[in-house]
Amino acid sequence: MKINHSRLWSWLVAILILAVVLALLQASGQAFWQGIVINVGIFIILTVSLNLSNGFTGVFSLGQIGFMALGAYGSAILTLPLREKAEYLPRLPAWLAGVHFDFFVGPFPLGFMLATLIAALLVALVALLVGLVLMRLSGHFVAVATLGFLVIVRVILFNADDFTRGSRTFSNVTPYTDLWWVWVWAVLAIYVVWRIKFSSFGRTMFAQREDRAAAQAIGIATMPPRLLAFVVSAFFTAVAGSLYAHFITSFSPTVFYFDLTFRVVTMLVLGGMGSVSGSVIGVLLVMALAEILRRIEDVNQLYGLSGVVLAVIFILIIVFRREGLLGSREIPFDRLWQKGGANQSAVISEQ
Amino acid sequence: MKIRLLVFALGLIGVLLLAACGGAAQPTSAPPTAAPTQPTAVPAAPTSAPASAEPIKIGGGFALTGDESVLDLPAANGAKLAAKEINAAEGINGRPVELIVHDSQYKMDVTAQICKQFVEQDKVIAVIGFTDTDSVLACGPTIQKAGLPFITAGATSPKIPTQVGDKTYLACFGDNVQAAVGAEYGASKFGKTAYLLWDKGVEYTTLLADYFKKRFTENGGTIVLEDQYDDKATDFSAQIAKVKALPKQPDFYFISAMPYNVGPVVKQFRDAGLTGPIIGGDGYDTPDIVSVAGKAADNVYFTTHALIDAQGGTEGIKKFIAAYNKEYGHDPENAFAALGYDTMYLIADAIKRAGSTDAAALLKAIQDTKDYPGITGKISFPDGAHVPQKGVTVIAIKDGKFTLGVEMVPEKVPAP
Repeated sequence: MKINHSRLWSWLVAILILAVVLALLQASGQAFWQGIVINVGIFIILTVSLNLSNGFTGVFSLGQIGFMALGAYGSAILTLPLREKAEYLPRLPAWLAGVHFDFFVGPFPLGFMLATLIAALLVALVALLVGLVLMRLSGHFVAVATLGFLVIVRVILFNADDFTRGSRTFSNVTPYTDLWWVWVWAVLAIYVVWRIKFSSFGRTMFAQREDRAAAQAIGIATMPPRLLAFVVSAFFTAVAGSLYAHFITSFSPTVFYFDLTFRVVTMLVLGGMGSVSGSVIGVLLVMALAEILRRIEDVNQLYGLSGVVLAVIFILIIVFRREGLLGSREIPFDRLWQKGGANQSAVISEQ
Repeated sequence: MKIRLLVFALGLIGVLLLAACGGAAQPTSAPPTAAPTQPTAVPAAPTSAPASAEPIKIGGGFALTGDESVLDLPAANGAKLAAKEINAAEGINGRPVELIVHDSQYKMDVTAQICKQFVEQDKVIAVIGFTDTDSVLACGPTIQKAGLPFITAGATSPKIPTQVGDKTYLACFGDNVQAAVGAEYGASKFGKTAYLLWDKGVEYTTLLADYFKKRFTENGGTIVLEDQYDDKATDFSAQIAKVKALPKQPDFYFISAMPYNVGPVVKQFRDAGLTGPIIGGDGYDTPDIVSVAGKAADNVYFTTHALIDAQGGTEGIKKFIAAYNKEYGHDPENAFAALGYDTMYLIADAIKRAGSTDAAALLKAIQDTKDYPGITGKISFPDGAHVPQKGVTVIAIKDGKFTLGVEMVPEKVPAP
């Protein structure tokens, strides 16, 4: 796909608007609202990358949060300052006990970025190995198998005491994650997944999702697009894990389990399997609803309301609008300025 | 399409209504004093103290839903009851107290968020709450950074103050203290050999087992077999088979378990014919143990904060049970209700002595607390300690009832 300049401008304008909003929020000093926007960004990375593997290829993986856990623990072990490392993880092997990714270049935490990248690349490698086996499966078999992967990750985290403190809370992680880190990664994730969707690779993903036999008949292999989606998805999921770890600063393996899996899947299904903008909208809606319901809970003392309502919405969507809000369509924000505008692009983006 | 949307919307409204009715019927919901238009939160206690004075705002963070709610809900109810009583008795230095409660849903990102909400939006002067270490570690740094005091009602890890900072206190004893009591009690009452089993999925159960092992072996005891199980396991036959294969049964079994596991684990041990004494920690302090295990729960002993029993309890406990019953229509579920109650009174006492709501003065007053007569025991923070020196209650289960075994202070406590 050749770069279309008006589209590029749309991206730049959108990013500029986002940057202004973030700068204003940063200047306001309101940690609560910053926290919400950070959470939204992290969940956007999670949902958009889950969409790449689950939505685009139709291979429904439930193991994504396992990659998140690996990313979180991997990066946190790397960035933990040496003094804390000696205290909390005394039995780390020497080559790991000596490394510390807490260095800065000026105000820029280069160590954190390197740790995130290293963890994410390692997780992508794990995903490649796991994917070579699991991506051969389809339908509900893959859901069960990836769920098995999630369980295996959890068991490993519990039992690798020397690296993870086992069941105990992994605490005193340096809070590097801020608005900018999260949103730079979120924009990058959105951009990459968006470009994949409208590339030939993306079209092979959709083709083999819709009808595998027909796709194979015209020479589209099933494995390469699935594997690519799975590995790229795992990479960004691990990045989200690293950001999450350096945001909440203390966590245990129980944090990365069914609860988070369910939340991300809800956001994905609500927005639409196969739609990047749908995923963003799904995250915004669920997060906004959860926050509003939490306020209603406080006022009326109806604790537990948000869980019930979100679950019921999920059921209603599955029953009445299985394709989610947007299905595989996109809000063509990058073509609004083009001649012919949205009308023309709606047709294109429907493929 | 439109019809579907309509059905969707109607369904949503129906669910909201249903949830509203369901919630109102709960005995735990507070009297409808709340103005529904209020944007953020609501005083948990109706203010009968001088309404003219500005209320003193205290944040109450609790996991009212989720796995930890078995302990957090009673703790929150206890704290709310205390706030109500304080207001009925002229408040604190003539000002009413407002306990702002938020539900952390036992999700760590929500926990981190509600603590920012306490600091920035509710503008509280102190925060109390939580009964588990994970939640305290997720919330604590925000409160510490804001320079406000934070007293946890029931998180018993003695490492919390060093992990979070100098503004964090415990209203309960540390796990090292209760494990030492369990070890000493078991050794003196049953003998010098023990079997040790713990839930390896939770920090609390792992720490408790560690401290038990340290104190018990140091005291001349021998652990004949140690074993673990996964958190929320429901089948303990693999562990039980190993115990039964022992050439000689130990004098007692120490099982460090979470509240949701104690019933099944005790019942399955008994069903397998292992009738020896079982000792545990304050995770056993739930009515579930008797309702699930039934008669099998006899000969079970556990360390906890107080015996919540209208007959066997102390005067303070008896009064507390009556007040709790009047407020919520049922007896307190466990000792965490009493801990929540004590925590609220503890902070109120400190504010009273500080004579102001200034954080530095308040922190000094908390540190200076000496022999505060809580219903779960006297609370002091001597020599800069942030974990109080408190007595431990050992409860024996007899004929399906909790009875007071003994009140103990351990001879020696393992280092945190």
